[in-house]
Amino acid sequence: MNSIIKLEIQKKTFKKKGFSILNDFDLEVEPGERLSIIGESGVGKTSLLNIIGLLDTQYQGSYKLFDSSVKDLSRNKLAEWRNQKIGFVLQESSLINSLTIEDNIKLPLMYAKTEKDLTVQDHFKRITNKIGIEPILKKKPLDCSGGQRSRAVFARAVIMNPQIILSDEPTASLDLENKEKIINLLFDMNKEFNTTVITVTHDLDLANRHERIITLERNE
Amino acid sequence: MRILRFFIIRILLKRWILVLGMIILLFLANYLSFTTARSVISTFQGYQEIETLNQEGTFIANLDPNSEADFTKIEIDDTQKVYEYLNNNYTYALQVDGFVTSLHNKHKMEVPFNYINEEAYKINQFRLSQGNQLNFNYKFNKEEIPVLVGAGLATTYPVGSNFEITDPVTQQLVNLKVQGVLKENTHRSNFYAPNSKNYFNFSIFLPVNEEFIQSAGLDLHVNGLMDIVLLDSSKEKAMNLKEHIQENLGLEFNFFNQQENFNYFEDYYVNSLKIICTITFILLIIIVCLAIWNTLVSIRLMIKDFTINLLVGLSYSKLRVIFYSYFGILFSIILAILFAITAFNRYGFWLNKDSTFATYGIFGLISMDWMALLIVLFIDFIIGFTIVELTIRKIKSIPISVGVLQ
Repeated sequence: MNSIIKLEIQKKTFKKKGFSILNDFDLEVEPGERLSIIGESGVGKTSLLNIIGLLDTQYQGSYKLFDSSVKDLSRNKLAEWRNQKIGFVLQESSLINSLTIEDNIKLPLMYAKTEKDLTVQDHFKRITNKIGIEPILKKKPLDCSGGQRSRAVFARAVIMNPQIILSDEPTASLDLENKEKIINLLFDMNKEFNTTVITVTHDLDLANRHERIITLERNE
Repeated sequence: MRILRFFIIRILLKRWILVLGMIILLFLANYLSFTTARSVISTFQGYQEIETLNQEGTFIANLDPNSEADFTKIEIDDTQKVYEYLNNNYTYALQVDGFVTSLHNKHKMEVPFNYINEEAYKINQFRLSQGNQLNFNYKFNKEEIPVLVGAGLATTYPVGSNFEITDPVTQQLVNLKVQGVLKENTHRSNFYAPNSKNYFNFSIFLPVNEEFIQSAGLDLHVNGLMDIVLLDSSKEKAMNLKEHIQENLGLEFNFFNQQENFNYFEDYYVNSLKIICTITFILLIIIVCLAIWNTLVSIRLMIKDFTINLLVGLSYSKLRVIFYSYFGILFSIILAILFAITAFNRYGFWLNKDSTFATYGIFGLISMDWMALLIVLFIDFIIGFTIVELTIRKIKSIPISVGVLQ
């Protein structure tokens, strides 16, 4: 099967801090794969996620996403792909507090200009129903529990039906019940839509539930 | 548009205090630039008008500010002697205004009389919208006096019409015939304060000849001397007149020639303008720095919101468009406020029946206002460009990272 992610990083340098990470790091990911990335703090897990998620293009090496060289893509194209092909599942704090939960979830739709699309509205209803956050749609994030906010973050990540979901410590601040809910939602998405899931975590239990684990180590 | 509205209403206005701070700073910058620009334009307009007088052989009278003048001791016989001397020995331009009288008109304005002799009339070359130029060869008290009226009096007193009025300086009933109508906003700048102007929209220009001067009262005689301009003269002749006035009236006059007037302008006005422009420039820089600081604080407070938007599809180019549009809207609001204040000020002269400053223009604004607004618009482009580009640079310098959200 063709890899959707082909990453060959020589190094990622932080000039101001005077060090580099991800030295000679290669990664290939296939469609529908569940991959977790673990490693101690500072080894470059989040930086790797930034690179895969098209947030960072300042590194030495090459990156092919969906057979296109990322470095050849314009900034607008990168933004479009982040909007349509990649969903970010982050911690529950990654919502805009001045917006309602509904507006937070619909944020990617605004950039895709599909908010008023009927099929999109159906999709929105289906997702919020499945995730169980319909009752809190009109609430502001600060009026919701941590579990509810996590599910809202998840809903926002999948609202565009992305091909890749990148999650960074998605369960870090959740209790056991809510943690299970988020993991199940992630994997359901993977099964139902063959979505590729890449999770950065410190949680070995969560990492073990993925098909493949990559351990990043500190460069000497 | 949808994204812009979203950013303004849902993101930026949520920190309304910062937006208000920005509006206040930008308003200060605009108001400061506007008043300075208008002052500079008005001064140079005035200087250009005065420059027509500033020629070889021209001497402009100016009461010595250090002399102790006692006007109560001046008698009409004394001033008549001075004018007799003037008429016999000099070519001079005389223009006196400020004699206000009540005359019915549709705007209910007080009407200032402006007494002008032929030489002053030739120099100023006032433009007419209707009728003919003044003639000065009338027989005072025997025939009607041809006059020019300001644009504001043209409907009540059209060309060809006659009206009787007690002349404020001779206190005699005179019959005036409207010979022509001055163009809207005809004005004169003060010789020694070129940014100060009197507008003649409600004035009556009455031609003054020797006969009239002899019949006029003390007020016209003394006031006439204050700004009298000797033409085709010499320093020696000017000094003779100075002595003659001192002997007869006890007033000490200076007669400045072309070079002295130019030096006065250079020393006083050009330097003042340089100082005003420098202070404005420094204040503008301070205000722009504060506006940039305000923006950077806003970014720091909103970096999470920006990052989330960048994660879900916002690009830097869209963000740049959003910021330019946002500042475009802010500047438009501020320019509209500035415009309203200026229009209100101009309209205030009409409300207060202040006929020497009431002007005609679109929404009451005259050419110098529009020019100053245009300069402000140009400055706004520079300020907007500086703030937006620095803001984008600052946002770009903070790497978008999922780490920002953790």
